[in-house]
Amino acid sequence: MRPNSNPIYSGRGLTALQRMRLWYVALLLVGSVLVVRLFYLQVIKHDYYSKAALASQLKQYQIEPERGVIEAHNGDGLLPIVLNEKRYTLYADPKYVVDAEKSAVAIASVIGGSSGDYIKAIKTPDTRYVILAKKLTKQQKDKIDAARKAENEKLASKRGAVFAWKGIGTQETSVRTYPQGDLAAQVLGFVNDEGIGKYGIEQALNDQLKGTPGQLKAITDAAGVPLAANKDNVVKEPVAGKRIVLTINIAMQQQLEEILKKGLDSAKSKSGGAFIMDPNTGAILAMANYPTFNPGEFYKVDDPSVFTNGTVSAPLEVGSTMKPLTAAAALDLGVVSKNQSYYDPSHFKVDGFEITNIEEDGGAGTRTIADILQLSLNTGATWLLMQMGGGEINKQARDRWFDYMTNHYQFGKKTGIEQGYEAAGTIPDPNEGYGLNLQYANTSFGQGMTATPLQMGAALSSVINGGTYYKPHLVDGYADSKGSLQDAKPTIVRSNVVKRDVGQDIQEFMEYTFSKNHVLYGFPNFQGNYTIGGKTGTAQIANPSGGYFEDKFNGTFMGFVGGNAPQYVIVTRVDEPGIGGYAGSRAAAPIFSDLASMLINNFNITPKGQ
Amino acid sequence: MIGRSASVGRRASVLEQGGTGRRHRPDYWLPILSILLLVVGLIVIYSISPGLAAQKNVSDNYYVNKQLIAIVLGIVGFIVMANIPYKYWRHWSKPLLVVAGIATVVAIIMPVIPQYPAHRWVRLGSFSFQSVELLKFALIVWLAKFFAERKAQGGLGNTTETIKPLLIVLVVLGIIVGKIQSDLGSIGVIVAVMTAMAFVAGVPLKRVVMVGGVVAIGAVLLVAGSSYRRDRLATFLHPEKDCQNSGYQVCQALIAVGSGGMFGLGVGNSVQAYGYLPEAQNDSIFAILAEKFGFIGVTVLIGLFAAFFARLFKIAERAPDVYSQLLVVGILAWLSTQAIINIGAMVGLLPLKGITLPFISYGGTSLLFVTGALGMIFQISRYTSFSPSNLESEGNRYESTAHRGRDGRPHYTAVSRRPGA
Repeated sequence: MRPNSNPIYSGRGLTALQRMRLWYVALLLVGSVLVVRLFYLQVIKHDYYSKAALASQLKQYQIEPERGVIEAHNGDGLLPIVLNEKRYTLYADPKYVVDAEKSAVAIASVIGGSSGDYIKAIKTPDTRYVILAKKLTKQQKDKIDAARKAENEKLASKRGAVFAWKGIGTQETSVRTYPQGDLAAQVLGFVNDEGIGKYGIEQALNDQLKGTPGQLKAITDAAGVPLAANKDNVVKEPVAGKRIVLTINIAMQQQLEEILKKGLDSAKSKSGGAFIMDPNTGAILAMANYPTFNPGEFYKVDDPSVFTNGTVSAPLEVGSTMKPLTAAAALDLGVVSKNQSYYDPSHFKVDGFEITNIEEDGGAGTRTIADILQLSLNTGATWLLMQMGGGEINKQARDRWFDYMTNHYQFGKKTGIEQGYEAAGTIPDPNEGYGLNLQYANTSFGQGMTATPLQMGAALSSVINGGTYYKPHLVDGYADSKGSLQDAKPTIVRSNVVKRDVGQDIQEFMEYTFSKNHVLYGFPNFQGNYTIGGKTGTAQIANPSGGYFEDKFNGTFMGFVGGNAPQYVIVTRVDEPGIGGYAGSRAAAPIFSDLASMLINNFNITPKGQ
Repeated sequence: MIGRSASVGRRASVLEQGGTGRRHRPDYWLPILSILLLVVGLIVIYSISPGLAAQKNVSDNYYVNKQLIAIVLGIVGFIVMANIPYKYWRHWSKPLLVVAGIATVVAIIMPVIPQYPAHRWVRLGSFSFQSVELLKFALIVWLAKFFAERKAQGGLGNTTETIKPLLIVLVVLGIIVGKIQSDLGSIGVIVAVMTAMAFVAGVPLKRVVMVGGVVAIGAVLLVAGSSYRRDRLATFLHPEKDCQNSGYQVCQALIAVGSGGMFGLGVGNSVQAYGYLPEAQNDSIFAILAEKFGFIGVTVLIGLFAAFFARLFKIAERAPDVYSQLLVVGILAWLSTQAIINIGAMVGLLPLKGITLPFISYGGTSLLFVTGALGMIFQISRYTSFSPSNLESEGNRYESTAHRGRDGRPHYTAVSRRPGA
């Protein structure tokens, strides 16, 4: 209608109205492009983007179960000995930290530490996760949350503000705590930073304690926090680890640790161990070694050897404490009788080597089996072994003694006590090797073989309890997460270890030995009101380069105490005492005596006849 | 033609009564549509507020409350502006430009914070605003006056009179906003506003194209001169190549939009707002909306915007004079360009520019300027004629109204009445 037939190109002929409408059409076109694009993204490519969304939004987590707590007996009740506590790991995601210096200063002002270290950590290149501090307490974590909140409230309305706490986060972790301090540390072991039990109960029963992790599959926010109620969420609750009740008696353990420490000090020894067990069940009531460690600060330990429970992990040549077991074997075989006497020449030649008595009263003479123990005669033990062979050490003697050591007394194999790194000890093969007769003569008095103190205690228990070998154990019961406690029944490993009357004979011999030597053993007030007996052991320490050290000994003592019958078996060990005399009687026996007195005074021992 | 001449005739009679048009009922569709859009934005912010609050460790209703306050302030701004006769702005255009200039200088010399390295913010205590928002508004007010005057003088195509000042303004703004403040998005909006106003005012297309060429060269220089921008351009072209770093926001926006599907995940079910998509309440709010309400929902939203812009067009078409018409056109260009740039970025058609979606995005200052500008248009809508005016043929009318403005207020009839109703 206008004269200009092509107004758009010239532009001049267009009225403002036309220009506006032209522009409006262009705007509508752009709008429709957007709608078409939205249709493409939301309808045609919907599946692709839904998958992409799930790939980043759906996360699968393992929910850590709570580790089982450990309790122990205390009087008639139970007390926790290992608990869990929530602690927090402070970490940074450097990608989100705005200003490392500002963040570091803020962190240092709340939890202490050097801001320089934090800066360095936050500036770690190529990572999305740097640990800044570990094991923060709930209070420290609350302080951090408060600081973060205060900052947010102050700066939230300011665009462009620099958040010191941005990219800094806390993660909950669980750590073990020890309400009884370092009590029974080596029995307990510890849980390392990866949550794995190391040493002691924690290692041996890691599977039961750790529980079963739960699974969480959930749509989460970018930080990984599950968004509530999403149909795609899958939750499998974790199953908490089992609660474990130990056979340990806390009061007895405390006193044992005190007495052990005192005894080692007076024997001028750097290390040793002791334990008390119930011979009628195999339950360990108290067990300790020295030196020990604080499980709450296991990471501060330089020398990892303090982690080991030497009583179960460090076999040693047991020395003369073997003699009652040798005598029991001979009596049980019927090759000697209880009151039999024999002529002891004070030395035997075996495989060209002299067997002599290194302990006191080694002269030749007529001896009884009770004398063999009371005087601790190596030649007596050798004679007992000879009787097993019909008068000489031979294959029959070796086979029989080997059978007793390994099948009756369970030497050379682990007892299966709930402890990490249990050692089996070694018993020489009766038919393989050189100088077998000499080697076997040595084993009859506890040399040339090794066993742990625990194995010795368990074997003695089986002899004096009437012949039943109970598996030594530290766990009295398990409870699941719901709390119902199931008592673990004592496990019988072998019945008829020795005949019941043989056991009583050995008990008598050991009581006799103790009564003869009680002053030397540091038990001056002996009145015969209690069943108390024992046997010392002094073993030369094997030189790693062959033979034995002339001047290095381990002292051991193995005994029992009770009212009418033995109620407790005690084994003590003192490594390289720094005082003169025989290590067994001078260093290890006094610890036994103190422990026996302690048990008599405090732990339900009723004097004979009452 | 008959219709138009009739309209012109009637307009002439109105002019004889001594005014730019009779004062009558304003266009109530304008506030109604604005409120609808604001409510949509508020619903989205309300539904994602707990998630945002959790990340920032503030109370659940922090964002909703602040947005509600902003809306209330915005309504006040609307009412105030609706009651300031729009013609006053013609006298205030220069002082306003000076204030905007000062604000811009303040924003530039203010020490920046590492998190926001751009010199864009004027911070006064806990209050802060982007100086460019004021600048855009001042520019529209000034351009309306500038073009109206040039048009009255018949000098719209004149290089010295019209094109040169425009080019100078453009270059200065390009340097200040584009280069120093690194705010290419706002430059885009400013260019769109100037182009639309020039075009509607009647600047010959040849000139518009020429200026466009200068802008294009400037843009290329700006992009080529900054590694940051080169990266952003590369990201825009292939966001999926670097979804973990520079392409992160685009990738997350596309995931939000795409996973919404036809009907959306539902108002309470956005996942991307929970820390995945940066600026979920702000620049990226459209993607969250698309995730929640799906294709149907965003089509309705775009329809709402289209209706809103159509309303502005109608007001512009029927504007009582060139000056007010250009004001409406400028504001329309400003808001529509922001919406297009924002949505375009969220669907991967345009590079991310940090431009808010009018009415919907969280944030007080941009909302205040938007509602204020709408108040001005609302006021203009009181004086529109009831059929499209053709101001083209009344080039000299500006003179008469201008002189009337100086004389005093027009004589309004006491009762608003629709003529012919």
